[in-house]
Amino acid sequence: MMEYGINEEQEMLKTMARDFLAKECPKTFTRAMMNDQTGITKDYWKKMADVGWTGLILPEQYGGANMTFRDLSILCEEMGRMVMPGPFVSTLVMSALPILNAGTEAQKQEFLPRIANGQMIMTAAVTETDGDFWPGGVNMQAYPRGEDYILTGAKSFVPDAMAADWFLVACRTKTSADPEEGITLCLVNKDDWGIYVNPLKTMDETRKQYQVTFNRIAVPAKYILGEVNKGWRYLKDAALRATALHCAEMVGGGEWVLETCVEYAKTRVQFGAPIGSFQAVKHHLANMYTQLEYARALMVWAAESVKENDPQADLAVNMAKAYCGDTFKMVAGLGIQIHGGIGFTWDHDMHLYFKRSRALDTVFGDANYHRELIAQHYD
Amino acid sequence: MVSEQSGKETAFRKQVRDWLKTNLPKGWGTPEYHAPERQTEAAQALGEKWTKTCYDAGYAGFGYPKEYGGIVRPDWEIRIIREEFTLCGTPPGPMSQGLLMAGPTILRWGQEWQKKRFLPKILNGEESWCQGFSEPDAGSDLANVRTAAVRDGDDWVVNGQKVWTSNWMFADFGLLVVKTDPAAKRHRNLSYFIFDCTSPGFSRRPLKQMSGESEFGEMFFDNVRIPHKNLLGELNMGWYVALTGLAAERSGGFAVGGRSTARRGWGNMESIVELAKETKHYGKAVWDDPLFRQRIAQFAIQGEAMRANGALQGAMARQGKKIDPNEVSVSKNFSAELRQHSDDMVMEILGAYSQMVEGSPLAVNGGDWVYGMLRWRGATIERGTSEINRNIIAEKILGLPREARGND
Ligand SMILES: Cc1cc2nc3c(=O)[nH]c(=O)nc-3n(C[C@H](O)[C@H](O)[C@H](O)COP(=O)(O)OP(=O)(O)OC[C@H]3O[C@@H](n4cnc5c(N)ncnc54)[C@H](O)[C@@H]3O)c2cc1C
Repeated sequence: MMEYGINEEQEMLKTMARDFLAKECPKTFTRAMMNDQTGITKDYWKKMADVGWTGLILPEQYGGANMTFRDLSILCEEMGRMVMPGPFVSTLVMSALPILNAGTEAQKQEFLPRIANGQMIMTAAVTETDGDFWPGGVNMQAYPRGEDYILTGAKSFVPDAMAADWFLVACRTKTSADPEEGITLCLVNKDDWGIYVNPLKTMDETRKQYQVTFNRIAVPAKYILGEVNKGWRYLKDAALRATALHCAEMVGGGEWVLETCVEYAKTRVQFGAPIGSFQAVKHHLANMYTQLEYARALMVWAAESVKENDPQADLAVNMAKAYCGDTFKMVAGLGIQIHGGIGFTWDHDMHLYFKRSRALDTVFGDANYHRELIAQHYD
Repeated sequence: MVSEQSGKETAFRKQVRDWLKTNLPKGWGTPEYHAPERQTEAAQALGEKWTKTCYDAGYAGFGYPKEYGGIVRPDWEIRIIREEFTLCGTPPGPMSQGLLMAGPTILRWGQEWQKKRFLPKILNGEESWCQGFSEPDAGSDLANVRTAAVRDGDDWVVNGQKVWTSNWMFADFGLLVVKTDPAAKRHRNLSYFIFDCTSPGFSRRPLKQMSGESEFGEMFFDNVRIPHKNLLGELNMGWYVALTGLAAERSGGFAVGGRSTARRGWGNMESIVELAKETKHYGKAVWDDPLFRQRIAQFAIQGEAMRANGALQGAMARQGKKIDPNEVSVSKNFSAELRQHSDDMVMEILGAYSQMVEGSPLAVNGGDWVYGMLRWRGATIERGTSEINRNIIAEKILGLPREARGND
């Protein structure tokens, strides 16, 4: 049943997550990861695995914690609050879920327990030169050769590729009028001879992106995921979930910004009074609070609808993504404004949130894209 | 899987829907239906009758104890009733001032005789109320009221003027904030009374609004006697009584005509889409214009955000979590501003037709869209301006320091 409130265990999960992240993911760590080509450490990943996060929503039989999607969304909110770096969503949602939903038992046995126990990091390589996540953008071809498929081409904007041990690659195996038809998913080991991973310098340095080139990579039948030509729906489903989680990250990040601004506005004195007593500042903060409240409501609705596989889940996610994206951008922009000069410095953490807000808005379609999809519901 | 609960809900929903079908005024919701002109006796009578019909059927009067005429039902039934009522945009009750302001204030502060005497007739629509707070020099700064009351035996004698009083014309009773101790400090010098609109010395007259009608007016007190027993709350503590009422009023969101903005966002999204599909400019349907699609979708998002936020707060309340009473300032601002933005958008969809008002053969929807656009410019002023609500959010919820005020 759709439940907007959070129960006691979820409350505990939230507290535990907040404590864990405060200890293990302080800004010193995040900033170190910004300067690191991989963007995450094995050590940090192991700690996350030890508390059960890397397999949070996977079934117990594959070593997961079998928790709900809402639980995961609560966790992601906390991760967003700390602008946590690393391939969390790439691995658990964009890669593990398609394997869980489309994989053979052997594939599930091979990948899922290792993802759950933190041994394996994965990412989905889908987007190409247009930078958009959509079936029409998947043009890199895979040719059959005997039992194998041969991959040649490049993927762009691939998140977390350097950290990943394996890739889930979307390939075009057939051209047809419906771009969703003819996409095949392949599981590819990053260490295969002929794979090149080039870091792309990103504005949000907490979110690494890469160009990945495949030079005549042979994928054996046992690493084809799901039916040939019918792979898109698994990616689409995973992306719906990942989008709902990004909404949670955006709300979490927005709340950090608001709290930080409120504290600053109470203590920073100009003209003999705290700047928070001036209405120009006060009303900015009231607007941030108001929009975040509604962003949270939509985010919760989206998470619950996804959890319940509600028929309106698509619409809920479209609405949440558009609104949370706009809101986080607005809030983070004002976060800099309210801090004045100090907010503009590299040393202040506000720009990490500002950049994250701009980054997440582009992932899985920006606000305009989602609003157009909402309009299509009414066509 | 259909749970037992959802089966019950579907059945109940049908029951409410069927009841509405048989009891709504004939032709309601169709172009053939002609509503009585606003602010007329006929409109008032329709509202009173409708409130009574709903109350008698057990579809109104929620949130009050039985002994004061309240109707007690499970939460889920009330939710369904509200949803079904808003979906068909039922006629306005005449009681919004009574239900939104007087009822909650009397319930919270009233003496036993006041609760027994007034609450049942607020709920069944028999008696109508108004709120005499604002004065020419006391709007946002309500604590600055000048209308004064002087004790004389068992009565208080009131002199002064109130302004912007909604429902001034039909009110049987009024809520009044007056100065009772001119020597005392701000916020400790006001008292809150119930007054009878038939009292000698009381007079009222209309003020014409920018929307053309006179929903609000002025009230004059010339040695009006109010019995001491009509005091609500403690003497000289009326400021604090008034705060309860203001909060309750804000929490009503914008539910005039049974069409709250929340449902407008969802239920009434369809009517905006329909309008955009039917309306052509320069040979092209508005609905095919990507910019309008964006804006209409944004409206749908915000309407749904209001619904989801209500559900979230409802869930928190059920779990016994405390919700800041100042949250009403958040939802009041959000709904009022959403309403204005959507009305402006509809005007742009209408184009030249946005100039056609009720009475013009070219008016769209009988001029309702345009009327609404004008009427709801008041939404960000009445019940506390948007600026005042932002101050409340920032100071009371976020804990920011107050700005220095001239009369502190
Ligand atoms: C449709 C309608 C119905 C109404 N019904 C009733 C009723 O039934 N009973 C009743 O008593 N009153 C009623 N009112 C009056 C309403 O409560 C007041 O108009 C409102 O409180 C604002 O007061 P004011 O008009 O004096 O404006 P002012 O207080 O003079 O405000 C003018 C402008 O200054 C801004 N402002 C004022 N103080 C501050 C501050 N501290 N910080 C920032 N900005 C500030 C305001 O936001 C506004 O923009 C109604 C008003 C309307 C429009």
